Amino acid sequence: MKVQKGEIVAARKYSENLYKLEIFSPYICKNARPAQFVNVRCAGFESNDPLLRRPFCIYEIDKKFNVFSILFIVKGKGTAYMANLEKGEILDFVGPLGNGFNIPENKNKFLLLGGGIGVAPLCLIAQNLIENNKTVHFVAGFKDETFYVWERDLIKILRDYRIFSENGAFGEKGLPSEYIYNSLDTFKEYQFLVCGPLEMLKNIQSILRGRKINALALMEEKMACGIGTCMGCVLRIKNKNGDIQYKKICTDGPVFDLMEVCFD
Amino acid sequence: MTDFFQNSGLAVKLGGIILKNPVIACSGTFASGLEYNEFYNISILGAVTTKSMSLAPMQGNPPPRICETASGMLNSIGLQNEGIDYFLENELPRMVEAGAAIIVSIFGKDADEFTKIASKIKTYEKEILAVELNLSCPNVEKGGMAFCALPDEINRIVSLTRNILKTGIIAKLSSNFNNIPEAASKAAKGGADAVSIINTIAATAFDINTFKPRLGNITGGLSGPAIKPIALLKVYELAKENIIPVIGMGGIMNWEDAIEFIIAGACAIGIGTANFINPDCGRKIIDGINDYMRRRNINDINILRGIVFKNSGAII
Repeated sequence: MKVQKGEIVAARKYSENLYKLEIFSPYICKNARPAQFVNVRCAGFESNDPLLRRPFCIYEIDKKFNVFSILFIVKGKGTAYMANLEKGEILDFVGPLGNGFNIPENKNKFLLLGGGIGVAPLCLIAQNLIENNKTVHFVAGFKDETFYVWERDLIKILRDYRIFSENGAFGEKGLPSEYIYNSLDTFKEYQFLVCGPLEMLKNIQSILRGRKINALALMEEKMACGIGTCMGCVLRIKNKNGDIQYKKICTDGPVFDLMEVCFD
Repeated sequence: MTDFFQNSGLAVKLGGIILKNPVIACSGTFASGLEYNEFYNISILGAVTTKSMSLAPMQGNPPPRICETASGMLNSIGLQNEGIDYFLENELPRMVEAGAAIIVSIFGKDADEFTKIASKIKTYEKEILAVELNLSCPNVEKGGMAFCALPDEINRIVSLTRNILKTGIIAKLSSNFNNIPEAASKAAKGGADAVSIINTIAATAFDINTFKPRLGNITGGLSGPAIKPIALLKVYELAKENIIPVIGMGGIMNWEDAIEFIIAGACAIGIGTANFINPDCGRKIIDGINDYMRRRNINDINILRGIVFKNSGAII
């Protein structure tokens, strides 16, 4: 991990709230793994507002051109700052951070389920799995058509996917968790990997509880340092003995066993 | 002081504690420094203060534990740590290997726990520069900043620790009770070499949509540039009383802030929240202070200490 400055080689607006920044960084492209993240400074020179860096999972890595990308939704001051950045400007970031995702041994079939911006890290994971000759079924759920343009990125990675939206404006109308629930027999040999809003993660956890399906979750929480020193980004984990422990999302994760995550 | 330290022009003395330069990493923002050693060589720092270690492991407070505020952040970590035994066996040797000048921050719920921790440290005394007594954490139920409401308790804890340890002793105090000079006097009488001021300021934030506190613990401690002017005033007020050497901290983001604390009377300065934002800020602050002194032909940083009140007289 390093503090780096990378030139923005493309700043794309996908829709009203959805943006992608492409950043030149041979270091990240050489060293980063799927589900790792960068902690981005979202304030101008000498500005302290917003103060803290913002963590973003890496969305794409293009090793040929040494460019990685971040996909993000504008939610607050930090992402609003990033949405205003233009091609040629410099992004200040620390990374790659977190443990990333290791392909579990003896697993060949993967179901990746993303809700909202949770699809971003799953895209790089999907790419990695496919490069390792694994079978991937991708399921994405959204509120509306915000991610409409994003489908063009997904289709470059794989063809086996289903998209749902709550209002039916993008893909099929409905919730991906209903689809998962109704298709459990089909996916019983799949390794699940989930990333999205807490409500979705809770639903999937309750659907899978008691069944012999392995599920991993990519978690997020407010974060300060991103390197394991501030102890700010903890998650409650109930281990196999029933003990509850606080685990740091940055350096213990961000990938955890979904069935061990305490949502209460 | 050794010739090497004297020649650098940056060496400072806090009672019996000698630092090669005045830049210290603050407790709770630097873990044991090993993560930051990936960004720069932490042995260049005047000292590294560890996260506060308690007698037994502590789980810390429920999440969410941090919340950003205007030019600052709230935290309610609650001193999550593996305990002093784990630290002494596993982390201290790695810090020594990294060449860090080590200040071990310790936290006890009462005087008895402080003495028990100090006794455990005794065996390792030669490997450390000082012990910092965390008498001011705003995020724990027992002890913490409550000690600062009772200055006699500060005196007792410092004295008891002094009786056990020959190493430097620093008392970290809170600004939440408006009695820093009194608390610092008690720490000095108990045998402390220096005081660290200020710890985070008790504060909170609420979500207007969910009507819930933004911190799992409801209250937390405010840090970052938002508190710098307050910290600076506290340092100035205490330093001009000349009771005990002062380590100034609170919102220091860069070398300019560091110099400002030194001219306000701080012997040394602590960098805390800034480590989260710029993990290599320790190195940059040391370089910045060096360049500033060179530009102004200052060959000893101690000339700058308290120059504000030396020049203008105490105006408050």
